[in-house]
Amino acid sequence: MDIAQPFLEFLEKLFGPVNSLLDPLKSNRMAYTLAWSALTLVFMVVSGLCMAGLARLIARLRGKNRQYQYKTFTGYLFASPWITGFVIFVLGPTLLSLYWSFTNLRIGEPAELVGMKNYVDLFRDRNFITALFNSFYLTVIGVPLQMAAGLGMAVLLNQRIRGRSLFRLIYYLPVLLATSTAVLFTWRLMLNANNGVINSILGALNKGPLHYLVGAFIFVTELTSAAFMALQTGNTKILEKIVAMGFPGPERLPLWLGADGLAFLWNKPSVVIILMWSAGAMMVIYLAALSGVPQTFYEAAKVDGANAWQRFRHITWPMIAPATFYNLIIGMIATLQIFEASVSLVRDGGQNQALYSVAYYLWRSTFRFNKVGYGAAMSWVLLAIIVILTVIQFRSQGKWVYYQGE
Amino acid sequence: MTAVVQYRPSRQKRIKDTTRQAILYLLACSLSLVLVFPLFWMVSTSLKTDAEANAPKPVWLPAQPQFDSYGEILADPDWRTYIANSIFVTALGVVGTLVSVTIVAFAFSRLDWPGRNLVFFMMLGTLMLPFQATLVPQYVLFNKLGWVDTFNPVTIPGYFAGGAAMVFLLRQFMLSIPRELDEAALVDGASYWQIFRHIVLPNTRPALATVGLFLFVGQWNALQLPLIYLQSRNMHTLPMAILNLFNPQQTQQPWTLIMATSLVAVVPLVVVFLAVQRHFVESIVLTGTKG
Repeated sequence: MDIAQPFLEFLEKLFGPVNSLLDPLKSNRMAYTLAWSALTLVFMVVSGLCMAGLARLIARLRGKNRQYQYKTFTGYLFASPWITGFVIFVLGPTLLSLYWSFTNLRIGEPAELVGMKNYVDLFRDRNFITALFNSFYLTVIGVPLQMAAGLGMAVLLNQRIRGRSLFRLIYYLPVLLATSTAVLFTWRLMLNANNGVINSILGALNKGPLHYLVGAFIFVTELTSAAFMALQTGNTKILEKIVAMGFPGPERLPLWLGADGLAFLWNKPSVVIILMWSAGAMMVIYLAALSGVPQTFYEAAKVDGANAWQRFRHITWPMIAPATFYNLIIGMIATLQIFEASVSLVRDGGQNQALYSVAYYLWRSTFRFNKVGYGAAMSWVLLAIIVILTVIQFRSQGKWVYYQGE
Repeated sequence: MTAVVQYRPSRQKRIKDTTRQAILYLLACSLSLVLVFPLFWMVSTSLKTDAEANAPKPVWLPAQPQFDSYGEILADPDWRTYIANSIFVTALGVVGTLVSVTIVAFAFSRLDWPGRNLVFFMMLGTLMLPFQATLVPQYVLFNKLGWVDTFNPVTIPGYFAGGAAMVFLLRQFMLSIPRELDEAALVDGASYWQIFRHIVLPNTRPALATVGLFLFVGQWNALQLPLIYLQSRNMHTLPMAILNLFNPQQTQQPWTLIMATSLVAVVPLVVVFLAVQRHFVESIVLTGTKG
């Protein structure tokens, strides 16, 4: 027995007349949505007035003065869009999904309660574990590199150089582009292992004395990826293979977004490259933090004879620690929710599910395989992880923040 | 005593400073080149012949710029549909969300009402909620309403001040406008609506531009919701259409066309960003939130 069913049937009945009224418009896709938008607006105004009126009535019954009643009415009226939306699009759906996460619901079939089965299955599901490990890899390898890139940009732009504001724009621009399918396809083209422009540059470098640099990059990347893989599967075969292959010869180049051979070791490093490219958001956070470091500290350190590195290490770095921590948590949460990259960069989440994220796997299970109950359970695990991370971020803020003048 | 040191940099120090400046400048410039390289590659590829685009050794610049792909986009009514869909969905979503988000931020920053802190706290709580958490039940809901394969699910939820982060950013900004202005206006007999309209709105412009930019980028690039809800071909948005150009069954992809359509999708992002950049920097510095 599905307790959500009567509720949904009620909604269907409620909206039935409206739907039949607007159905003739359905052939014109834009007019249909415009009509619904207008109706929504009316609904919002009416529900807002009702909510605000109710609030004022309560205030009056509690014997408050006119001024107080007026303030109450205005406040609820202005806040009503969010409150209404919260109930309809957040609270209701969240509770429904909590309930469904304990059922085996598939759309078009009646749901049955299955208890904790979805959650138990989830932690036995190889794809889900892979998605979590992918986020783990990106958190340990990708996010620090992204933060380093962001910090580097911020420190560079914190100097007095000409055209600073123009550089700031250019460095930030990739943030806006990083979720664009169009730009991700450009990366896919550039990172093509066979005829991509990046490998052609690396190939040219790989001939001369820089070969050791390129080779070291390839070796280290493959070793880390394989090590993470071994950690995940408990199987060290691939790691041993990489070690046995030894230092890459000049003919070997990164496999990036490829789909065969050892490419699965390179799918995630490709995403790391894109993360570093779009480090501008972290740069902005760091720039704000850097501008909060009092200049007097540096002057004092200079007098004491501290060099640039020492000043960075002992003044800047501890002072911007809150920004670092904020960036880390935001970056971690983002790795769980990667979606565009899993769809646009590779086919179906990459070779060996290398680019599965929780968000991608959730979408795939629910909307490709109609496992709605299972997807709901996954969304709750995702929510739990994010809540834990955010609480950690909040809790530790007190410990990390260095107050000015202390 | 060294208290009265004449602080005129020596010649040597000046040269050192200039060198330092030059190195930093060079560094900043080369980094810029690296960061815009994907855009260069997009433009360059869109102007290549198919042979050049799929050549085993990448061709940096086309021998003879080809505008066929752009011609193809212009001539094909399908592409006009995709572009129109994208514009429609983005315009409606951005305007609706921006208006409602501003009104709600006003309630949270400039009005005192019982329960405000509780409601605000709940709103902060939803910041943690990943939008995937409500994805499934919202789908079931919209399915029941007969909204699947219409533009409603990708636009209408936004009207309800969708996006707590945006409300938060605007609220922080509105808090920085002196409250005395409101009080003076109230004494003069202004209504709260007039305060909103004539005091708060004009002073919030930088933040509105920033929030508008974020909303625009989010809506224009949106892929996940459109993939779920917009099923018929004539409902597809630009990102979906680009995605569909890629055929995993083939080894050769129509890269010139993909890159030409990609440029069409990217140009608005760059243009809007440049249009609001001045405000953008201002509001980010003031509120120090969101990236």
